[in-house]
Amino acid sequence: MRVDVDGVAVHLEDGASLLDAVRLAGGELPTLCHDDRLTSVGSCRTCLVRSGGSVVAACVTPAVDGAVVEVTTGELRGLRRDAVELIVSALPPRALDGGADGGELARICHELGLAPDSAQGQGGRGRDDTHPYVHLDRDLCIACGRCVRMCAEVQGTFALTLTGRGADTVVAPGTGGSWADSDCVSCGGCVDTCPTGALTEPGLPVGDRARTSGRTHTTCGYCGVGCSLEVLTRDGEIVAVLPDHDGPVNRGHACVKGRFAHGFLHASERLIRPLLRRDGLLTPVSWSEALDHVARGLREAVAAGGPDAVAAISSARATNEENYLIQKFMRVAVGTNNVDNCSRLCHAPSAAGLTAAFGLSGGTDSLDDVEGADCLLLVGANPVEAHPVVGARLLRRVLHGARLIVADPRTVGLAHHADVHLRPLPGSNVALFNGLAHVMLAEGLVDDDFLRHRVAGLPELTALLDGYGPDQVAALTGVPAGDLLEAARLYGRAERPAIVYGLGVTEHLHGTDGVRALANLAILRGAVGTGHGFGINPLRGQNNVQGASDMGALPDLLPGYAKVTDPAARARAADVWGAPVPDRPGMRIPEMFAAARAGTLRTLWIVGEDVCATDPDTVRVTEALETCPLVVCQELFLSETARHADVVLPAAAWLEKDGTFVNFDRRFQRVRPALDPPGDARTDFAAVHALASALGVDLGCRTPAEALAECARVAPLFAGISHERLDREGAVPWPCPDPFRPGEASLYRERFSTSDGLAHLAACPYLPPGETPDDHYPLVLVTGRRWAHYNSGNMTRRTANLQLEGVDLLDLHPADAARCGLGEGDPVTVRSRYGRAVLTAHLSDDMVPGQVFCAFHFPSSGVNTLTSRHADTVTSCPEYKVTAVRLIPGCV
Amino acid sequence: MGGFNGSNGFRVLAGRRGHLGARLLEALAGAAERSPDGPQVWAPRVARRLGLPAAAGLGSATFYADLAAPRGRRHVRVCAAAACFAARAGRQLTEVEEALGVAVGGVGRNDVSLQAVRCLGFCYASPGCLDGDTPCVGPTLTEQLAGGLPPVAPAIPARDVTGDPVALAGIVAGEEPWTVWPEAVATGAAQRVLAEVAASGLRGRGGAGFPVSAKWAAAGGSPDTVVVANGDEGDPGSYADRLLMEADPARVLEGLALACLACGARRAVVLVRSEYPQALTRMRAAVGQAYADGHLGGSVHGSEVNLDVEVVEGAGSYVAGEETALIAGLEGGRGCARSRPPYPTRQGLWDAPTVVNNVETLAAVPWIVRRGGNAYACRGTRTETGTKLVCLSERFARPGCYEVELGTPVIHIVTELGGGLQEGAELGALQVGGPLGGFLPPDGLDVPLTEADLARHGAALGHAGLVAFDRRVTGREVLRHVWEFAAAESCGACSPCRVGSRRGLEITGSGTPSEEYTRLLRVMGQASLCAFGRRVPAAVRSLARAYGDELGEWDR
Repeated sequence: MRVDVDGVAVHLEDGASLLDAVRLAGGELPTLCHDDRLTSVGSCRTCLVRSGGSVVAACVTPAVDGAVVEVTTGELRGLRRDAVELIVSALPPRALDGGADGGELARICHELGLAPDSAQGQGGRGRDDTHPYVHLDRDLCIACGRCVRMCAEVQGTFALTLTGRGADTVVAPGTGGSWADSDCVSCGGCVDTCPTGALTEPGLPVGDRARTSGRTHTTCGYCGVGCSLEVLTRDGEIVAVLPDHDGPVNRGHACVKGRFAHGFLHASERLIRPLLRRDGLLTPVSWSEALDHVARGLREAVAAGGPDAVAAISSARATNEENYLIQKFMRVAVGTNNVDNCSRLCHAPSAAGLTAAFGLSGGTDSLDDVEGADCLLLVGANPVEAHPVVGARLLRRVLHGARLIVADPRTVGLAHHADVHLRPLPGSNVALFNGLAHVMLAEGLVDDDFLRHRVAGLPELTALLDGYGPDQVAALTGVPAGDLLEAARLYGRAERPAIVYGLGVTEHLHGTDGVRALANLAILRGAVGTGHGFGINPLRGQNNVQGASDMGALPDLLPGYAKVTDPAARARAADVWGAPVPDRPGMRIPEMFAAARAGTLRTLWIVGEDVCATDPDTVRVTEALETCPLVVCQELFLSETARHADVVLPAAAWLEKDGTFVNFDRRFQRVRPALDPPGDARTDFAAVHALASALGVDLGCRTPAEALAECARVAPLFAGISHERLDREGAVPWPCPDPFRPGEASLYRERFSTSDGLAHLAACPYLPPGETPDDHYPLVLVTGRRWAHYNSGNMTRRTANLQLEGVDLLDLHPADAARCGLGEGDPVTVRSRYGRAVLTAHLSDDMVPGQVFCAFHFPSSGVNTLTSRHADTVTSCPEYKVTAVRLIPGCV
Repeated sequence: MGGFNGSNGFRVLAGRRGHLGARLLEALAGAAERSPDGPQVWAPRVARRLGLPAAAGLGSATFYADLAAPRGRRHVRVCAAAACFAARAGRQLTEVEEALGVAVGGVGRNDVSLQAVRCLGFCYASPGCLDGDTPCVGPTLTEQLAGGLPPVAPAIPARDVTGDPVALAGIVAGEEPWTVWPEAVATGAAQRVLAEVAASGLRGRGGAGFPVSAKWAAAGGSPDTVVVANGDEGDPGSYADRLLMEADPARVLEGLALACLACGARRAVVLVRSEYPQALTRMRAAVGQAYADGHLGGSVHGSEVNLDVEVVEGAGSYVAGEETALIAGLEGGRGCARSRPPYPTRQGLWDAPTVVNNVETLAAVPWIVRRGGNAYACRGTRTETGTKLVCLSERFARPGCYEVELGTPVIHIVTELGGGLQEGAELGALQVGGPLGGFLPPDGLDVPLTEADLARHGAALGHAGLVAFDRRVTGREVLRHVWEFAAAESCGACSPCRVGSRRGLEITGSGTPSEEYTRLLRVMGQASLCAFGRRVPAAVRSLARAYGDELGEWDR
């Protein structure tokens, strides 16, 4: 359609507004209540133009073909100025602080020439400074509702509302009390969109941005979503971390962790010098002393037990370049494949299962595609808390009309919004997925053409599924047959379904089977590699857990997933590295601990993992560390693991590093240092180089950029990716074999990457979990993440997030609580067959009777002493999601 | 990604929760009545119990005056609006406060709470109060409240002066309701109803004056259409809808049923404002009776027509009578106006096509269908057909509700029907059409009662309430009163009105009008989101003109 703006013709899409037209014509209007991400409401009435004979607010007036819009007449300029002046008249003079460098309103006033004395409000409505990250100055609120819409439409929390009416209208948290006690999940969206400074974050008062000296674009180092962030710094301190409005995944959004939880950087207990155990005590030493000790230990270990007497646990929090360098160090400098990373503990079954089904170790589609789905099947994941930005985007999709099936025992997060909520017994996933597949096959909700041409394994699966009728599955899973049917039909009849899943699928005795059985649904439906449907996509837990594996920090795989047993792959790497590559797969993390306990592992190097807090059955993990002659640990803080190490090297945090991360939908994104590491702390990249030097080895690739460039030569999947390209283009997904062509966000359009080019259905029978409750341990414990914390909590517990969630809770159903004699807030001792933890009881109807839930963000509570040694039969991923426990009131 | 396209997140979420809408406001009202605490305490809980975000409860509860007002065991609502103001020369609030020993907006000793409301529809016998739901009206109001006299609430004097009443056909001429509907529904006369109403030239009587048949047609005949009878007669000075809903609710329902038939709607809602408890009771009873008599429900009178009517109570907001705000309220939200398009006839209640017709408008429909559109079109004036109920305030010698032909000179209504002002009172200005209407000077009453003519004289037909201000109050006091109303009832959805209504009140209260006042009026009048903010400047300008020199400097 064509619209005339002050004589300039512009062409617009249907659904565009007059504001779009004016902007397209190069005009600017004040838009105090407008944010491109939000529904337009036309509240501030400052974007006034004349069209069709009347004065209208451009933001809410649809553009129609042939419309003539007047914008720049003197009368309209005056009217817009008067409209802004009227708004300002009710505000106190500080509303205009900062002028041209101030907030949106101050800037607009500056442009319109409105003097500070236009602001003549008396104030007196008061402040709410109860929350650590969001402060409210009611006197500056202009009731534009941007914060309310942000919270509802982008974040999906619905924590805010306008209250009162007329001139008394003001934003308030919807729970009626203080902000700190509200439903706010501290995403910062309200602060970000507020045009006046009514909502601010401590440390970044409105109008103060000009005084920041540094701005660094980087990628968040918390969960695997990969939010793009802008870090403002001043005098070596972080002023604020803001979401990047052009961030490809977060699109201007963030969460309590990435946005606010950076205080740990300056925590007093931050390690700033290497520590060496002397006479049983960790004592500060110089780097050279520490490195000499490590080098000596390494040489002794190799001399005594060969290269395989050394092992490394690389870090999913470290950069790709660091992971690349660590695995190269192990393979080249030590000569062993004994390198693994914590994806072993989370998504190793995804890697195995997705590779077997489709050929590549990653999700099949991008989040952008998933967002186009008309039906979401969310399994074993609570993204609202664990991956908040993805949770928000998925909820937004649901509010825009997508159907939602949630399979999760707890009624949390998106389950509140589900069309069907399936609550399978923990450990019964395979039966559930087989049951869904049974219904889809029985009712013809499958893509026959796709199955005929692009799929292997249908006859075997069909035969297996005979035994998984709805009633049989109901008996195995506890999911009513009717719910199962409804879910299968919703998914099976959708035009563009997508599966998103989390650790509730993988962290089981038969986790890989779970991934395969879940992938079956996408294959049956023809919803992968076809464009009608968005496959199956794991939500990765840590910032770079995808990348750590991509970089070959795995005992059986080289960078880019080439097998160490494949001579051609070894030869390719050896050619680049100038050294032979060991041909025998190395040890997995649990095997490393077993070898240490058995005395065959003599040096264990642990980078950025608190294995004594986060690995299962930690009593035995600790035993392994105590037995191993040399344990080296690179850490930010003196973690439980560091306490058991012989050498502790102070590490840089993500805000102090240069490199790249790969997020959950396979995007490489740049990580850039906003600050220098404190004291003698070094990046893992520098530490690995230093250690190699101490051994007299030159690993080459002196910079992170060179490391990724070298990786690109080793791994065809990443051949087209470089720092230079990422600096230019932003995010680039892999596979990306060609520097001049885009990476593949959606996979398998032509063929699957399996050896025969077909997608492989799997006939996995249901097998019971390793842990089963009995009379002595009658309840099932499920562990997971809570919204304000992250992993072992070593970062988030050292920030004001502790004010948001400061107690390690055990969620349990009121009926179980009554049976155990527990009330809200009571201390409760949890015992399993392996250990004991002390938590605080929290009664919740979100739980199923017979199941309890807790996180492991507070290692001192001992949650991972409870978890068992059972592990996925294929990948050794621990069975975190099923532990039989009993509860005892009090701290016993 | 954009937003929700004319909607908002709360609405969408509430939609997924099964369209609880009115149930939320009902539950909030129930909690408000039971609790001595403010909405901060109970509203979040109420919303949560219904599966909605706490914020959905708090936002609405703090918006509506009834829900936000502090409650004692005895709750008294005192009218602060035009006719009562004029009757006691602005003293009525203080008098009631003194009689009850409690300030407006507070809870006093003996657990008595006092809420100022804007119009209880007793304008013909002002001042008025509701003690609980019991009306106490007239010059002895304070004695009634103090218990010295029994409560008094005279009936509305109603009179037809046309000789062939339309809206008052039942009330003054004893014409039975539900005489047209059975045949219309049995013969599937949707097209005929639409055609007759089109021929009649009937326009909305609630103030906006939009052609009724055009609104019906705009809904497009979708079976999802909802027709809303708007009984939120917010204009102080008008009590015609209260009269109809209390004295002849069946006629309103019959008109509503015919409107549904014409629109192909299977659902209708009657919204009755909370200030009219008697109307609510009568309307609910009439709906029950209509179901019992087979006028409503499934397969009405053996036809294939199904029609369900629900009665919903308002919660105290003037702007919530505006159609988009009314729909927001029916959805359980804050009763704020929203920008149009989309128009409610395309995207209204929970996005269904929604037709909102005023009660008086609907009351005329049975007559039009029975007698034919042409018979109606012959009445009134050529361009503004038919009859209109006008309401005369207490200051008149013969206050009451009169049915007149449109085009009747205002001076005739004032002097002949109203008998001029009460003995000893001298007219200062006549407010026509409520707070968004305008004022006529004592020597400027020779204006035909039509929208167009009144507009030419700076007034508006509005709901056709006529409130006389006598010389006991100054023009400045009336001006301040109008701004007080604006400030108290602005919904706050748009800045010009949100800030302008308060600022206007401050300026008229303290100073003299400056350039700022001029700019304020211009911004409010041109930029406000709905008619409320847009009309206030016109109303205060016409007031300034009506008082001539007295308010000369305020004519900006």
